[in-house]
Amino acid sequence: MPSMTKPSRLLPAFLLALATLAAAQPAGKPAAPAATPSPQVQPPLSSAAERVYEFSKPRMLQVRTILQAANRQSSLGSGFLVTADGLAITNYHVVSQYALDPKTYRLEYLAPDGSKGTLKLLAIDVSHDLAVVKVERSTLPFFEFDTRSIAGNLPKGERIYAMGNPLDLGFTIVEGTYNGLVDKSYDERIHFSGAINPGMSGGPVAGSDGRIVGVNVAKRLDSEQVGFLVPARFAADLVERARKGPALVLDKAREEVGRQLDGWQAGFYDTLKGQGFKSGTFGPYRGMESSAPWMTCWGATNADQLPKPRTAINSTRCSSATGIFVSDKILTGRVDLAYSYYKAIDLNAFQFARELSQRTWSFDGGAGKRLTEQECRDDFVMAGAGARPPLRTTWCMRAYREFEGLYNVTLIALTQDRSREALLAQLSMQGVSYSNAVALGRRFLESIQWAR
Amino acid sequence: MGAVMWIEVLARHGEVVSRQRIDAEEARIGRAFDNDVVVDDPHVAPHHLRIFRAEDGELAAEDLGTLNGLYREHGRDRTQRLPLASEPGIRIGRTILRVHDARHMVAPERLMTPPRAHARWAAGLGALLIGGLVILEWLSVTAVPTANLILLPLLGFVTVLALWTGFWSMLSRIFFGQARFALQLRIAVTACIALVVWEQLAESLSFSLAWRDMAEYAGLGAWAVLAGACWAHLHAIGPRHMRAAMGLAAALIIAGAALQYLGKSESRKLFGQRASLGDLRPPAFRLVPLASADDFFRKTASAKTQVDLARTREPSSTVLSDVDLSD
Repeated sequence: MPSMTKPSRLLPAFLLALATLAAAQPAGKPAAPAATPSPQVQPPLSSAAERVYEFSKPRMLQVRTILQAANRQSSLGSGFLVTADGLAITNYHVVSQYALDPKTYRLEYLAPDGSKGTLKLLAIDVSHDLAVVKVERSTLPFFEFDTRSIAGNLPKGERIYAMGNPLDLGFTIVEGTYNGLVDKSYDERIHFSGAINPGMSGGPVAGSDGRIVGVNVAKRLDSEQVGFLVPARFAADLVERARKGPALVLDKAREEVGRQLDGWQAGFYDTLKGQGFKSGTFGPYRGMESSAPWMTCWGATNADQLPKPRTAINSTRCSSATGIFVSDKILTGRVDLAYSYYKAIDLNAFQFARELSQRTWSFDGGAGKRLTEQECRDDFVMAGAGARPPLRTTWCMRAYREFEGLYNVTLIALTQDRSREALLAQLSMQGVSYSNAVALGRRFLESIQWAR
Repeated sequence: MGAVMWIEVLARHGEVVSRQRIDAEEARIGRAFDNDVVVDDPHVAPHHLRIFRAEDGELAAEDLGTLNGLYREHGRDRTQRLPLASEPGIRIGRTILRVHDARHMVAPERLMTPPRAHARWAAGLGALLIGGLVILEWLSVTAVPTANLILLPLLGFVTVLALWTGFWSMLSRIFFGQARFALQLRIAVTACIALVVWEQLAESLSFSLAWRDMAEYAGLGAWAVLAGACWAHLHAIGPRHMRAAMGLAAALIIAGAALQYLGKSESRKLFGQRASLGDLRPPAFRLVPLASADDFFRKTASAKTQVDLARTREPSSTVLSDVDLSD
């Protein structure tokens, strides 16, 4: 695949700072931004950061996941207090090891004043990557949420400050810019222009008045200074839920994660359907494409290859670019829809069939700790009434061992009406319920027709 | 006429070393030079054995009072006297003898294969095989075809075929006295043709019937062809003493097939089934009727049942599967 498809792989780099990050980068302290003439009434920027940090320092925590058996830290993140009775926000991915395996791990905090203690996990929100933990016998001060951010009318360009403990180097403040919600994203994420590094996950992002705008969550690996924050309102909602609702039963955390994943996928596939589908044309064929703005598509061709290819291939790949972190072994919640139109230049029918066989190879199917082995079903299908190309179809699925009713499904269809050209269509869905997979799969197969 | 008897001394592999005609009612065998048949075997007495006609007129052997005694050719029980009508083979010391009289039935005359017939067949089938392979190779080349790309695998194949045939010819030379290279080559080439035809058939049917397992377990058919080839090679060497060898070959092949089968099912557990369309053929190869979407999704429901069942089982292994971030 040409490098142009690279940006479509929006696998967020989660900031799960592992303790093995001993080989810390010689990352210099983020120097103050290049002096730009800013005729403002405000005091100089650096002193604003100073004030924010001074205000925030007692309100921040380092969240440590400790491996019980060795009594050593297994992963590190950040968190911050939001209520007088010691409720604190962090990322779900910071506490995921503990949530999924409370017998092997325990949670601890380290406050900037050096005090330590255990943390209790009260609530999780897997889809927004948030968790609420409680500090025992807390007398620590706490943050308040920024009402402008919750209402969604923070102006783009506003200076905001991301804090946390990157790479276990010590509590740090990073000045950056609020850049609104990410366009073309199913999940609501704030685009933060500033450096977010492993270990800062779950840390607070505050405005210059010290009120919470968002929560550090991820950064893009293939770019500079592109960070993502969870908007404050999801954190406020989860705190409400943690206060009012029953506390999370630790032994049932897995079930809770499964329920949330199921709820997420139900909402996602409803939205996908609600956004509607349109028809894309690929040579003499057409097939469905999503109208959702967050399905990003990339095209590729082999026309410029040398030696001159014997089959012309033009492909389109659309991805929801969604990714839900469940554990360091499971990243789920993504939909990909790909079409490749193949036309033989000087291959005969057998050689062309061979070419297509080589192209549909995929490595995915081994039984693992998290997923079952893959099961496939093949057939020749006429997916609907009316004149349409017959399809050679393969359906492959794996089940999530820990989450009942969720599957990874791949559906491949190859048109069978001509011997020297064909449309190869592939739909893959991660963390989907069977009924949603069948519904979208059926629509997908029915959509493959001849172009008028 | 009844007076004629033949005494054969055999080598260890069963070939006749010497054959002696006795025109008398009785023959004596031993190491001493006053015997009718002299045997150079330190474990044989100077006067070991007497062959004579018993009361019923059939030949019999009698121990003349020796240290090492008289045995059937394959027997373990020492006997004083042995009737030879049904089983003509006897053992004295380390020497095997056979005694026949003139009435002994011999096998009917075998029709001789015309000279060079096997060679001609081998050449004809070989040409067919190589032609077929070149065509198959050419049909599966999707890059720019070069002579190298097509002929190089063929060269390797021909080398293996020659080595294989040479191995069997050598065995034949050892046990049968003649190499019979042409016959062995003919067998090997026939087996290869069967192998190629089976492989193509299995792959094509797997596509035509949309039946994935057919291609996955086609290896079992290949083992059967190999078993047949080994049997034919052994048969050509000669039926004598070959039963044990054939049993061994059969056991090896069954073990191989079982290993292959187990390996396949094990790797299926490890890797699952591949999300691929398999080996494709041109659309005209389809044999099954087109299913409706409803039919197809009924089929997928059985896959769901299967993975749901697999969920409840412990994972068999986590060798390659620690990362499930499927793309």
